[in-house]
Amino acid sequence: MSTPTLRVDTQDPTPPYEQLRRQLSDLMHTGALKPGDRLPPLRQLAGDLGLAVGTVARTYRELEAAGLVRSRRGGGTRVADQAPAPPADGHRQALDRHAAAYLRQAQLLGADRETALDAVRRAWPADA
Amino acid sequence: MVGAWIVGLLLVPLLGVALAGPSAADEPATEHIRRTTRRWRWAGLAVGAAVAAVTAGYDPLGRGVLLAAPLFGLCVLAGVVAGESRVVARPACSTRQAALETRQVRHYLPRRPFRAVAAAGTALAVLLAATTAAGSPDGLGRAGRALAYDCGDFIGTHGPWAGSFYSLPLAPLVGLGVLIAALAMHRLVGRPRPQAPAGDMVRDDAERRHSATAVTGACGVLVTIPLIGISLFTAAGLLSSPCRPLWWTAAAWGLFLLVPAWIVLLAWSSVAVLSPGPRADRPAPVSA
Repeated sequence: MSTPTLRVDTQDPTPPYEQLRRQLSDLMHTGALKPGDRLPPLRQLAGDLGLAVGTVARTYRELEAAGLVRSRRGGGTRVADQAPAPPADGHRQALDRHAAAYLRQAQLLGADRETALDAVRRAWPADA
Repeated sequence: MVGAWIVGLLLVPLLGVALAGPSAADEPATEHIRRTTRRWRWAGLAVGAAVAAVTAGYDPLGRGVLLAAPLFGLCVLAGVVAGESRVVARPACSTRQAALETRQVRHYLPRRPFRAVAAAGTALAVLLAATTAAGSPDGLGRAGRALAYDCGDFIGTHGPWAGSFYSLPLAPLVGLGVLIAALAMHRLVGRPRPQAPAGDMVRDDAERRHSATAVTGACGVLVTIPLIGISLFTAAGLLSSPCRPLWWTAAAWGLFLLVPAWIVLLAWSSVAVLSPGPRADRPAPVSA
């Protein structure tokens, strides 16, 4: 069973709520999260990530303001049926963002360009 | 006095086992969960058995025997809550991850046994309300310990009867058990997924399901033993009246006929509480 995973790096200068917002937004735009899919309850996600409930609540509020999710009392937070389409180069922007984050981590570890690219090649599944 | 010594001698090693340090770092995450929850559950079970044994001999009028099973169930539930609270720590490292999933109580509760335990709990509540309302003082003036009947030519009483003498101490214990069971379910659903040493999240649904089964079983023990006892005493009380209306006879036989079902539920609950848990197979990582 394949379950999307959310990651938060507390040493990243990007605030945790924004890290979560970007990841959830990417998952919706790539179709990993489909209209009607339910997001984890606030307390559960906050507990799993060791964050304050208010941090996750802010993420959900931002997504709701962008029209990507809808919240109902007692019904949880679900992906909106007609979520706004991602920008034309949305996938590329997301990929660039993740690449920049990886580059930052690789540089922190002292890796050079070839070592970092080798790590990506090794992590890439052979049949993909 | 002897009972207190027995409880004390049991408590010390059990608490030592339960409070022992965390597992080795190279131990699989699910094995750690299994071991910790099992240890706490068995500690609760042993303490509960000792408390029940002492309580059963406390009151010669039967209240000790009546309260022994709920106290046993409460101790098992407390063990489950303690185990689930200690099993996975709140993440504190810099890089944290969570599966994008919705965990709910209904995903882990054994559906049919839960419904049966809920039915038994409802039956106990209804039966206790009825017997409390019908209770009268016994020959020594103890309120709610006898059933009085008036046959016109003569009046009489039958006891023991599950009136307020028994229901008033029992009801708060059962209510407390329901609250602790709800807390246990909240804990086992809300705790984070464990992480393998490699950093992958590990599916521990089997362990959560087993804890939920133990909670259901503890509630089953907590409810069915008083229910069986009260059903038998109530049926005997109803049949004791020489001028009973027809519906008393029907109600008494209804209570008798339900007893085998409650015994089956009690047997399932006992097995659920005593079961050692899922087998130690290799856990599947939560793939990203």
